Amino acid sequence: MTRDAIRDRNMPDRKELERWLFSEETGQEDAADAAFAHVFAALPKVEPGEGFVQRTIAEVWRLRARRRRLVAFGWAAAIVLVAGGALATYLASPRLAPAAIKAFVFASGHAVPWLVAYTTVAMDWWWTLARVGSVIASVLMTPARVAAVVGVELFGILAFFALQRIAGAGRLGDAHV
Amino acid sequence: MPPSDAELANEALAGSEEASRALVARYATPAVNFIFRLVRDRSLAEDLAQEGFLRVFQRLKTYDPERKFSSWFFQVLRNVTIDYLRVNRLATSSLDELTDAGFQAPEADRTSSSPERLAEQESLARAMDGALARIRPEYREVVVLRYQEGLTHPEIAEILGLPSGTVKTYLHRARKELAILLKPFA
Repeated sequence: MTRDAIRDRNMPDRKELERWLFSEETGQEDAADAAFAHVFAALPKVEPGEGFVQRTIAEVWRLRARRRRLVAFGWAAAIVLVAGGALATYLASPRLAPAAIKAFVFASGHAVPWLVAYTTVAMDWWWTLARVGSVIASVLMTPARVAAVVGVELFGILAFFALQRIAGAGRLGDAHV
Repeated sequence: MPPSDAELANEALAGSEEASRALVARYATPAVNFIFRLVRDRSLAEDLAQEGFLRVFQRLKTYDPERKFSSWFFQVLRNVTIDYLRVNRLATSSLDELTDAGFQAPEADRTSSSPERLAEQESLARAMDGALARIRPEYREVVVLRYQEGLTHPEIAEILGLPSGTVKTYLHRARKELAILLKPFA
């Protein structure tokens, strides 16, 4: 790293700082923006070290070459796998096809009756629960109770809406100067 | 007339080493500066800038030439920095430490100013550096992009993924906070 690794631009002085602070205090947005740009120039500029560009380019090229090798390897592996799989299937198909069909028939023959039986049982339970639920509801839910429940729900919705408004106002305050 | 960023990016994508080199050379200083203001460590800033360039070249295919290259570039750079900051704690170095390490203003500037003015400028630089480090990171980001990189509000908004109005607010508030911190210096 060299001595002038950090350079400064046209460094401002106290007067420019005072000019900026005055613009900020008096609310002159554009003037403050321009004056602060001058004051900000007080910060020294950091230059990258010698050889940064060279190192970066070398690394970019090394990674690019590695990626190309990986892509080429991936393609080669995919081609070998697909070709090998196709060949194996072609050679083994006279033996594999009848076995696969038998296995499918066996599985369907056992699975379908089991599925039907359990679905029937589940549906019976479902209807029983539905009947019990409707009997309880008809006993408990009088018009007055329904009105009370609806009232509580409305109150909750209003409270939620009010909270959302309060939170939203806070966020809107952030968005405007 | 030098080639535009988009032209260089296009040539780099086609495999031109010369264009890639030109792109890196053009953006090396802004990249290191931008990251340095966020991490306050010079060598870390260089490392992250290099990683940023690697990611930029890796994703060059996704760059839309209709967009301004600098906005896209700083967006990638910012993501790299944020990824780093998420998993690492910072051991930061201040301007004082950098100056102690021998980073000083160039001779030309030193000889053109009186010793008093020079001392005042260096003092202002330290104060500004300290104040910048004390404001919220999101404020610091917009200040750096606006006043160091000279980007417009919509460009900053695009980089940070914020509405333009919020960028203006952040800038306004950042300047207000910096004004409070720098007022004793005036």
